[in-house]
Amino acid sequence: MNKLLNLTMKRFLLYAALVLVCSVPVYYLALNRLWQYEMTEHNIVLDDAEGREDSYLIILAVTSVTLVFFVLLMFGFILLNRRISGKLWQPFYKSMDQIKHFDLSSQQSVQFEQTNITEFSEMNQHLRKLIAGNVAAYSQQKEFADNASHELQTPLAIIQFKLDLLMQTSNLSNEQYQLIEDASKALSRVTRINKNLLLLTKIENSQYMEEDNIDLSALLHHTIQTFTVFADDKQLVFEEDIHPGISIRANKILLEILLNNLINNAIRYSSNGAVIRIRLAENTLTVSNAGNTPLIREHLFRRFSATSADSPGTGLGLALIKQISTRYGWAIDYSFDNHQHHFTLKY
Amino acid sequence: MKILIIEDEEALAKSIGAYLSDAHYRCEYATSFSEAMEKTEVYVYDCILLDLMLPGGDGLKILSELKANNKQDGVIIISAKDSLDDKIKGLQIGADDYLTKPFHLSELAARIYSVIRRKQFSNANIVEQHELRIDIPAKTVTVNDQPVNLTRKEFDLLLYFISNKNKVVSKTALAEHLSGDIAGMFDNYDFVYVHIKNLKKKLAEAGCDNYLKTLYGTGYKWEV
Repeated sequence: MNKLLNLTMKRFLLYAALVLVCSVPVYYLALNRLWQYEMTEHNIVLDDAEGREDSYLIILAVTSVTLVFFVLLMFGFILLNRRISGKLWQPFYKSMDQIKHFDLSSQQSVQFEQTNITEFSEMNQHLRKLIAGNVAAYSQQKEFADNASHELQTPLAIIQFKLDLLMQTSNLSNEQYQLIEDASKALSRVTRINKNLLLLTKIENSQYMEEDNIDLSALLHHTIQTFTVFADDKQLVFEEDIHPGISIRANKILLEILLNNLINNAIRYSSNGAVIRIRLAENTLTVSNAGNTPLIREHLFRRFSATSADSPGTGLGLALIKQISTRYGWAIDYSFDNHQHHFTLKY
Repeated sequence: MKILIIEDEEALAKSIGAYLSDAHYRCEYATSFSEAMEKTEVYVYDCILLDLMLPGGDGLKILSELKANNKQDGVIIISAKDSLDDKIKGLQIGADDYLTKPFHLSELAARIYSVIRRKQFSNANIVEQHELRIDIPAKTVTVNDQPVNLTRKEFDLLLYFISNKNKVVSKTALAEHLSGDIAGMFDNYDFVYVHIKNLKKKLAEAGCDNYLKTLYGTGYKWEV
């Protein structure tokens, strides 16, 4: 990659060198003519050897003078180029720096510096317009998700209440009751999806900012305890290898959500009687469970990408994990070997 | 027992009223901020169900006003906003509980029951039903004066049923109640069976009548 001004400078220098090289014979011819004329006027006669020596002297003098000027030109060009590229392109570099550090989700506006150079000012103006458009679209989309989720809560509650009341009516048949229970179950799944969507939006909106030093080892152990009831149902065994006393700086609620979802996934996708390994070391947390086929890594952490008929989750668990990891600059990754799924969190 | 339901969504308010009114609760309604302010100023309620987003004002103001006037009414906030800030603020001002919509009506009944019990003097904190006696603060249960050893979850379930007397309670509602924070993460609610089976067995062994009936296969009802 070349800098733009270096490209032009090389050409300028080449052109200057060409002109100066061409000027050498022209100077020589002119000086020689002048010399001859002066000789004839003053009746000085030189023999051939002296004449040749004078020619050589002239050529030498002209060439060295030209060379000196070329070097002067070269230094001048380089110096000027540096000054110009520093000054002239400064607004450009500044704008570029602004764009480089721009983060759509951070909700900061971009402030370009005033410049009196038409091209840059025009560029900045277009950039401003482009960014403002993006910011507006982004916040609109976020606001929409937030509002939509809120607006859904009330009708969801109405359905829930009506089902609860319907359940109280006398003389229900078993079949009717099962229909109500099934509807109620589906409703609680919708509610969960809605809650998780809201949560994702809130994390994106930079809520849950309070941070504490949290004893991750203890919290992880506690989380596993809470899930034991559900694991017992499937006769799952937890194999814990938890390094004690590891603390981490984060928001407690978010960290709990992250751990809950990681362990919940492992339980949900394990077959009966399987072993779930949870390893907490100095900088990594790995949750492993048995599986037959590797999952598609690229899609895994996207919203609603993992849901299928036989795995009725919310489809948002891994997206939540990803979002929370991103907030704290942690890395969450997935790998598959020896018929084991591994989810690894590096913090 | 008098309950005030402050809720602008009529379908919600009426459903709550319908569920609670057969359980010896008398329900009154307020659908706007000003109506709620009037009612809470003049009357005393055992429990107030308070929605936060009301036409005409913020529900938290009603709560502050109650507390400023030293009123003893129990308050449960029922909000569509699952916002931690609101929850902390509400509880700090003096709400007794906070429920995020949607929830099961049986869950609401259990919370109301607990709030009312907590507000009353300690002798009212003992529930007696024939041979069964539950001391809520001490978390102890006796049948014919013989103590029954229940786990925390079993005790919790028993109270849930007592506060939803003669109501059909679904397995889904019980699962969500028992699993709390991680509610609904699982679609398999079989763990509810285990707790109920143990509770039934312990009560029966102590000589308690079978009040807890299984209905329609997966529903339960505490019949008195």
